[in-house]
Formats: sequence, structure tokens, C-alpha cells
Amino acid sequence: METSTINKLEDLLLVSVPRDLMDDEVLLLRRQVVQGIREYHSRWVLLDFSLVDICDSFFGRFIQSTARMVKLMGADVIVSGLQDAVIETMVELGMTLPNIRAVLDLDEALVLSRESKHTMEKIIPDLQVDESADTQEDLLATDTFFLNSLKEG
Amino acid sequence: MIGRTPSPRSWSINNLTDVVTARRSGLKLALTLGFPAPEATKIAVVISELARNIILYAGTGVVSLIPHVEDGEVYIKVIAQDHGPGIEDIERVLAGGYTTSKGLGKGVSGSKRLMDDFEIESEVGKGTKITAVKWLRIRR
Repeated sequence: METSTINKLEDLLLVSVPRDLMDDEVLLLRRQVVQGIREYHSRWVLLDFSLVDICDSFFGRFIQSTARMVKLMGADVIVSGLQDAVIETMVELGMTLPNIRAVLDLDEALVLSRESKHTMEKIIPDLQVDESADTQEDLLATDTFFLNSLKEG
Repeated sequence: MIGRTPSPRSWSINNLTDVVTARRSGLKLALTLGFPAPEATKIAVVISELARNIILYAGTGVVSLIPHVEDGEVYIKVIAQDHGPGIEDIERVLAGGYTTSKGLGKGVSGSKRLMDDFEIESEVGKGTKITAVKWLRIRR
């Protein structure tokens, strides 16, 4: 099992997403992200996808569900490092990431987080409900699993 | 681009590790055949979606990759077959209209867009066979 690495840099929680995410790894990674935000008081979570070269619809649901959890912690997700082939495939597959900011690299993410710190301006909170029933139900399925395992834990 | 047709290969799909193995092999095979990275990625994603659906809906099944190289014509055929519950309304699945809790619609309709040919044969109670083909058009 590939492990992800999580590091702190200023207001950013840096998360290197492994190449092939399995369901149990998603669960673990999201918990680590939530714990990391709590521990470091991070305002931003940078999900780095440089290692990812295959992006199926499960991958898209992972980004969305992680973003929602991060939002509940009062932080925001930024994605970076999406490869050209991955971007082309995501668009043709019909995968969208509404309300999620993407940057080219870590430098740009740092600029974004520093700017927002000075201006106190963050991305508009994602308060509207995603009306896409498919996505919504997918998320609920994933999140019910997540919550149940939290209760068990 | 290579001159001869590599052997077809098949994977028994029983768990998520098998899904990862199949899509990784598909990516490698597509690149070997000369598909540019974005096209090879699309083939790998389709393998991933179809294999994942086998796990979600049928439990087990088989994914096969059949490469073809002949007279300058190159394509990869992906076949995903299972003996699961089958699909009642194929047109609806292809249109992305299904909104089951596991998200069947998006994966299948999205996969169809990523490939050149996409065909579903299914019989309720007997199983499903999906055949998808991608041609090599743009040379690196």
C-alpha cells in the first residue's frame, strides 16, 4: 500500500496523493487531512496530484468528499499538479470540480494562501447544495461509510 | 509504434487490487502500442470504470485487453464481462441517466465518450458484456 505524505508549510497542509488510491486508503487519507488541519490550524489543504496518472470517477468523488470535509473544518482545498493527460481525461469523462481552486504548483498555492491572509479574502464558502443527484448520492454512500467507521472507531 | 500484435491478456476481477492491476497493464500496453499519453490514460480510465462496476454490481468478472496491429491499423479492444444481475435499461445507462448510490451512470456514459466504439450486451439475471474500442489516430 502506497502511503501519502502530509506536511505543514505556513497556512498550507501539503498532501501528496498516492498514485493508486484504494477505498481504505481514501478513508485513512481523509482522516489524516482532518487531523492535520486540527493539529496545524491550516487554512488551506493542498492536494498534490503529481503522482496520479489515472483518474476515474472514484478519483473525482475523492476530491469532492475531501473538499466537503475540509470545508467543515473551516479550511479550503486547493488542487495542484494535475498532469496534462489527466486533465484531458477528466474533462472528457465529464468530471468537474465546482468551487475547488486549482493551481499549477506549490509556489502558486503559497502566493494564494499569503494573499488571502492579508486581504482576509477566501474562496466564497461552498454553501449551495450540489443538485447533481448522482454525485450527491455517491458522496453520501462514501460518507456514510466514513461516519460509520468513525462511530466504530 | 510496434510492428507486431502483442498477445491479448485477461484479468480475473475479484477485488480493487485487480482493478488497479488491470488498468496499470492497460496503460502500459497502450503506450507500448504508440498511443499518446492522454489516449493511453483514457483507455486505462475506461478499464478502471468497467472493472470497478464489475466489483460493485456483479462481484466478480473478467476484463480482457485485445490489441490489434495490422497494416498500419492499431487499436485496443477492452472487454468487460460478468455474470451479474444484468442491466434492465441499457439506453438509460448509456445516457448517464442512472443515479444509483454507486454511480453507475457517470462511469459508463463517461467511458463511452472516451472510446471510439462502445457496446453493451446484457441480459437481466444472466450478466453483462461491454466491448469498447479505441483506435490509434494521432501518432506521437
